[in-house]
Amino acid sequence: MIVRSRWFSVGLALALTYGITAAVCAAGSSSAPADSNTVAAEVDRLILTDLRHSGVTPVDRCNDADFLRRTTLDITGQLPSPRDVTIFSLDPEANKREELIEQLLRSPEYGKNWARYWRDVVYMPATDIRARIAQADFEHWMALRLSSGVGWDRIVTSMLTATGDVREHPETALLIAQGGQSEEIAAEACRIFLGIQMQCANCHDHPSDVWKRNQFHELAAYFPRIAVRQTQQPLAFEIASVNADRGRGDFMRENPEQFVRFNDRNGDGKITKEEMRNRASMLPGNGIPAQLVDRIFEQGDSNKDDALTAEEIKSMPVPNQARRGSTEHYMPDLNDPASKGKLIQPKFFVDDSSPGRGLSDEGRRAAVANAFTSRKNPWFARAIVNRVWAEFLGEGFYMPIDDMGPTRTARFPEAIDALAKGFVSNDHDIRWLVRTIAMTQTYQRKVAAKPVAEDALPFAAVTPTRLRADLVFNSLFQILGINENSNEGREAMGGPRAYQREPRFQFDFLFGVDPSVPKDDITGNVPQSLYLMNSNALRAALTANNNTRLGKILRENKREGDALGELYLLVLAREPSKHEIEICQTYIKDVGQRGEAYEDLMWSLLNSSEFLSKR
Amino acid sequence: MSAFSWHEDVTLKRQSVSRRGFLYGTSAAAAVGAFNFHDVMSAQAADLRKQGRAMILLFMQGGPSQLETFDPKPGTDSGGPTKAISTAAPGIQIAEGWEETAKQMQDIAVIRSMTNKEGQHDRAVYQMHTGYIPSGSIKHPALGCNLAHELSHAERELPAVVSIGNGRAAGIGGSGAGFLGVDYEPFHVANPGKLPENVAMTVNESRFKRRLGLLDQLEDEFASQGGATVVENHRRITDKSSKLVLSPLTKTFDLSHESAATRESYGNTDFGRGCLLARRLIESGVTFVEVRLGNWDTHQDNFDAVKGLARQCDPALAALIADLKQRGLFDKTLIVWTGEFGRTPRVNPRTGRDHWPRNFNALLAGGGVKGGQVIGETSKDGTGLVKDPVSVPDLFCSICKSLEVNPSKENMSPLGRPMKIVDGGKPVDGLFA
Repeated sequence: MIVRSRWFSVGLALALTYGITAAVCAAGSSSAPADSNTVAAEVDRLILTDLRHSGVTPVDRCNDADFLRRTTLDITGQLPSPRDVTIFSLDPEANKREELIEQLLRSPEYGKNWARYWRDVVYMPATDIRARIAQADFEHWMALRLSSGVGWDRIVTSMLTATGDVREHPETALLIAQGGQSEEIAAEACRIFLGIQMQCANCHDHPSDVWKRNQFHELAAYFPRIAVRQTQQPLAFEIASVNADRGRGDFMRENPEQFVRFNDRNGDGKITKEEMRNRASMLPGNGIPAQLVDRIFEQGDSNKDDALTAEEIKSMPVPNQARRGSTEHYMPDLNDPASKGKLIQPKFFVDDSSPGRGLSDEGRRAAVANAFTSRKNPWFARAIVNRVWAEFLGEGFYMPIDDMGPTRTARFPEAIDALAKGFVSNDHDIRWLVRTIAMTQTYQRKVAAKPVAEDALPFAAVTPTRLRADLVFNSLFQILGINENSNEGREAMGGPRAYQREPRFQFDFLFGVDPSVPKDDITGNVPQSLYLMNSNALRAALTANNNTRLGKILRENKREGDALGELYLLVLAREPSKHEIEICQTYIKDVGQRGEAYEDLMWSLLNSSEFLSKR
Repeated sequence: MSAFSWHEDVTLKRQSVSRRGFLYGTSAAAAVGAFNFHDVMSAQAADLRKQGRAMILLFMQGGPSQLETFDPKPGTDSGGPTKAISTAAPGIQIAEGWEETAKQMQDIAVIRSMTNKEGQHDRAVYQMHTGYIPSGSIKHPALGCNLAHELSHAERELPAVVSIGNGRAAGIGGSGAGFLGVDYEPFHVANPGKLPENVAMTVNESRFKRRLGLLDQLEDEFASQGGATVVENHRRITDKSSKLVLSPLTKTFDLSHESAATRESYGNTDFGRGCLLARRLIESGVTFVEVRLGNWDTHQDNFDAVKGLARQCDPALAALIADLKQRGLFDKTLIVWTGEFGRTPRVNPRTGRDHWPRNFNALLAGGGVKGGQVIGETSKDGTGLVKDPVSVPDLFCSICKSLEVNPSKENMSPLGRPMKIVDGGKPVDGLFA
């Protein structure tokens, strides 16, 4: 508990610095917070019992070097340095693994690493790539919250209720990534935060799922008043709440003649701005705001006579957001897709709670955030537990990780629920979850290939999965001694798309994979392999001259055994095996030129599957 | 569940080409130091021509104006100052600036009645590549990747799908393989004419091979320590990559093997080089090539901007048709020219045109399509369709018909939901009359 309170003070200091309310960080749950070690032991016991029951023998505990590399990569996204490996291996303390976990969680790299994870979860499947202009801001926003232990419930609430400029309010990320489209937001929020796939129910009742099409649309009905608007700055957008019906825009385009007739007071066949503003309020709903009238004229008044004709309206450009412009959600009639469909009121499918009719955008979104994050909603905690566990172990209790729900079966259901319960009692602090998972013996086992049989139980070993793009990037830059931020000129180039020139962005572009994709499916591809084999960026850093890391190793270690040890520690964060030393020494002898041989050795290690994988 | 399908489920329509013989042929020729790309090609070309159906998509990113390309309206307010010119196909007029294309019009079918609802770039580009409306929860495969999945060889040194152009913006919405996996992911060539990024070895060939041998030996350790599956997958990728790096077929990417006259006919532009490379890739067995030309989003100075774009596109398009015909590849290779939408008939105050999905153009040539005809018609002022609307799925079904792929074939998405190659639509029969 001493350690715990120290974190809270760190969190509080951060909170005060960045203007997060102190209340967010205060512990205040009804039940006593569960202890990490107790829950970890319980999870181990549950998993072990089931494994033994099905006759599976778990593999041994992994060695210190493997644990150090694995945990450092999983928590901070970094590769341990050769020095870290040596110190950790020699440390005689019995609880050094626990201390390492604590230390890694205190590092600012923890928040950064997991913020990048969430950046990919939100942006990689984005249907609106303009959203990416705010991704660096989102990363920063998320890192701050994760590092200071802001509860996951509060983070998700912010993301569901966000409004404002996407760069000033990067918590709008998920909304802008879906272009503000209510059905897309409903589907993605449900998939990411509850681990439930509802989008098939957009069009039909799923044959094997309990949720019905109606229920999907009731979820979408929480979000119809979200609008993405372009702001004054170029390439800038905001998420706005639109509580007044915008139906006129559509009515105007669909019925130009009628629209002109309605508004045309003096009968000259055209309408002026004044006519439009005054008569518009006679139509059902509210009047057209002056700003919108101006915009319509800007777009439609092609001959600049300050009046609109039906012909002019007909040749107006199609609006960027092809939405209905209604403040209510309508479920399309599948037999008559052109019709308006059926008016649907918001209702939460998990517990059938309903916030009532006619709520404002703010009211609806606060209600949906409450329903999502409620302690009574079991899917909220399970979804995040399943996700984080899968990232650590290589596989989730539910697979795919974002397809849970009552008709899916969890492996070790009691274990995931023990973690979920402990997580909730610790105010949804993800650091607690990370610590608990990393403390399990299940996580601390050696890696082994996954059992082949479909129904074989996982977690008898850790699955050696491919590292995420950011982890490979961090490792490469660290090994080659390249500073990510060394390119001073980048800032000067500026502009909203400057992020695209960042080396990390370009690397992610090549190596990035949506983190919700099952790890088994991620095997790399040819362009990635070509990059590691032949890219100029790596070639320069791979030369054995004096200025490179390799050059330094060769200069400082005249004996091959020492040099090979250093090289392996640098690239793979472990000592080479006897067999490997033999292979390498034979190779060096065969090549006959030390520098050249080591360049080849380092090239081979960087192109090895071990370098790209969790071990 | 491995992403390595290795085409077990693929109907190998192209397989009857003696691929293995082809490869032995190339390496044997290379071994005696007498490698000549065209010699080897011609040895197998007859087979390739008989079997291999392929497609080249010329994608005009930003949304090309139909009024300044293939549906001019001279003498109307909508038409602006753009004049119409006659073509080799009697009765068909297209916009000035497309004189070279006009000469090939006997081989081109113009669709003037493409129609869609999506007026936002990303979403429309996605739809024009996949046939589906974008959704966060599923990544639909691009049509090109679906075609490659149906048609391409299991064993090949070159990728099945190649996309060319537009610098780093390789991943435009919907152009990826989606759930079909890495085998069908487009291989991106940023600068046509140069070897693609990272394909050239940084050390000499014998040292590269030596490195591969060392890597293979060192992989055993991790394989014995629980990483066997990972190592196996990685070996397959390494094998594919090194095959490409060492393949004589990488010469396909080198345009200096072409005569000066041929290169000139395509035009001294990136797009021209992209089209020439597309032809070379198709010739070498690639199933689908997309060549992109950007900057069609002409909200201002539409008329000058399109003139400049036509100067790049017109000679390349015309040369591509002529070149494929000359090489006997035209009948089996479908060329499709289109963008994500059209532009407003009304000229805006900045002499630009805005987004307009209601009616826009597509060109089809080769692949059994009957040229010298126009499908669909727009109203006199260009603000709507008069007849024969063609939706995106209709266009896609027509493409499938040309390539002899069944558009209703279903592939299983990761969520266990079967997805048709094309959802709905029907081929435009007139194209094949």
